Amino acid sequence: MGYTEERGPKVQILLVEDETKVGNALSAGLQAEGYEIVWAQTGEEGFFHASSQSFDLILLDVMLPGRDGIEVLDTLRKHGNKTPVLLLTAKDAIEDRVLGLDTGADDYLVKPFAFAELSARIRALMRRNQQEPPASLTVGQLEIDPTRRSVTREGQRIELTAREFELLEYLARHHGRIVSRDMLARDVWREGSRATPLDNVIDVHIARLRKKIDDPFAIKLLHTVRGVGFTFSEDAS
Amino acid sequence: MSGFMRTTLRSRLTILYASLLAAALLLYAGGVSSFFLHNLHKQLDSSLDRDVETVEGVLSTDPGGALTISAHDGEAGHGERDHGYLLEVWSLDGKLLYRCEGLNGQTLGPVPVSAVSARQSPHSLQLPSGMRVRAISRVHHMGKNNAVIVRLAVNEHPLWEEFWEMVSLLAIGLPVTVILVAITGYLVAGRALKPVDAMAQRALHITAEQLNERIHIENTNDELGQLGAAFNTTLARLERSFEQLRRFTADASHELRTPLTAIKSVGEVSLSMPGDVNYYRDTIGSMLEEANRLTHLVDSLLTMARADAGSIQLHRTGVNLYELAKEACALLDVLAEEKQQDIRVEGDIFVAVLADRTILRQAVVNLVHNAVKFSPVNGLVRIVVGESGKDAVIEVHDSGPGIPAEHRAHIFERFYRVDRARARAVGGAGLGLSIAQWAVNIHGGAIEVESAPGGGSIFRLRIPKSV
Repeated sequence: MGYTEERGPKVQILLVEDETKVGNALSAGLQAEGYEIVWAQTGEEGFFHASSQSFDLILLDVMLPGRDGIEVLDTLRKHGNKTPVLLLTAKDAIEDRVLGLDTGADDYLVKPFAFAELSARIRALMRRNQQEPPASLTVGQLEIDPTRRSVTREGQRIELTAREFELLEYLARHHGRIVSRDMLARDVWREGSRATPLDNVIDVHIARLRKKIDDPFAIKLLHTVRGVGFTFSEDAS
Repeated sequence: MSGFMRTTLRSRLTILYASLLAAALLLYAGGVSSFFLHNLHKQLDSSLDRDVETVEGVLSTDPGGALTISAHDGEAGHGERDHGYLLEVWSLDGKLLYRCEGLNGQTLGPVPVSAVSARQSPHSLQLPSGMRVRAISRVHHMGKNNAVIVRLAVNEHPLWEEFWEMVSLLAIGLPVTVILVAITGYLVAGRALKPVDAMAQRALHITAEQLNERIHIENTNDELGQLGAAFNTTLARLERSFEQLRRFTADASHELRTPLTAIKSVGEVSLSMPGDVNYYRDTIGSMLEEANRLTHLVDSLLTMARADAGSIQLHRTGVNLYELAKEACALLDVLAEEKQQDIRVEGDIFVAVLADRTILRQAVVNLVHNAVKFSPVNGLVRIVVGESGKDAVIEVHDSGPGIPAEHRAHIFERFYRVDRARARAVGGAGLGLSIAQWAVNIHGGAIEVESAPGGGSIFRLRIPKSV
């Protein structure tokens, strides 16, 4: 998708992940998004890199051979290292999350996760110290005014329900990137549990939204990426 | 005590009974002995009483004031020796008038100082020579102004001999009885406990593979029969849950295999076929869809596993059930709209319970989701909130085909489906109702199902109003 930071040097990410396939896929995916990746396959190696070099973000797997992620994180924080850490964990019991966040992690992601979601979380962490996104959003000729909750396309006003508006706003804020159904369920529907099956509900809302914002126009903005989710972009691919 | 507890029940029972018997017998023997001793003394005392009168009869004083023992003297003296009688006669002013030879100069008590203290009922005393005697002391009047103190004693030796004979008889008989009873008791206990042994042997041989075996019960009324029956009931329950587990494992592996098979075959087929970018994109997308299906399945299974382990803690707050039902409706009404269904929430808007909102919401969402899924196009889904006795009730009425009676008992089982062929088309893994049931059960409530074929179904969710 060719995502790069607008200015300044590339964002440097340390990836600590022992699983070769996952590590390869994440490195390739994040490099394609314009990040610079250092990949460590053990906790010791990860700790060595983290303490000898400065990173913008550390992606830390919890289940590592030898020294596990929590231990590495704990040591880093005790040494005064304040680099943001995103934990990747296969354990999603509340206690595990609390333990991770207590140890000093900035966020966590439960495996298996959609790459789109990882990418969104990384951007969110990188954005933390930057200014809020602009008040008005424009994608193509579609304009969204979050304060007045109004949508216009090619000058035509489009009436949306509250849920449709939130959905569109979320998609527009992530425009050009893939948004998974899990992300929508959590961030738009605010459904905490992954066990609640919302996929049908989301699909119906997407279909309705598409009918209102895309059907009357030649250029389609809302695309389905099969097996992954949706993307909001002028570019059909 | 712990050492005692380590022995077999049989020996413990025997030891207990034998000790109880020994204690009872000891108590009895003690009672009998003291009663016997008391009687012996009484006999001796009454004969002593008689004898002192006889002795008094032969006492007289000659005109000079000296004591004489009359013609019977010889006889009496003879009698004394025969029966071990010992005689002492004192004057009231403390002068010894007569002491028989048998005493060998020993006295039967201190020198009397007055007539009052001289009168003594039968009592035991020990002479300096070590002899134990029973003594009686009387004031004997012989004419006016003339009285003597008569002290008569008899050796207690024969009495004690008789007593100890009796005691030794008891002492020999008692342990023998106890030992005999203990042996008999041990044998009887062994016989009585034999079924326990048999049960234990049988239970040892029952494994997970042959849970259909049962313990043979000889007498259903006694304690062992009840134990056996309880054991058999447990076995039946175990068998049922093993059966459920077996079915669950089979179903779960089926559910996991289906998407895996799809991933593999889609991947293999498209690898073997030349295609353009869009074709491969589509293939990968299709594989990812199946991977998502697997993810959802594993998530649901994890939720259930955690529920089974009881590691989920309830965070109870006041939950308005009407609002909860409204919320579930708001979440799902688009699905109903797609099928032109009418979805309504009715009933009491003030019904509230103390519950974990997230968990309870999951149950309501799942039930409403099912109702929408199984109601036909243009159908009606009604959610009725109310109260019934001590319970708060949410009823979910659908206008679906109803659930045949033979399936009704199973629909809450994991992966159970009324119509397997339709299942994949309708979607979901078949865990929705199990999760709903767990969510309600954990709040102390229950889900009831009513269904008339062709007449729709009612899922009634009951939650106790007070925790």
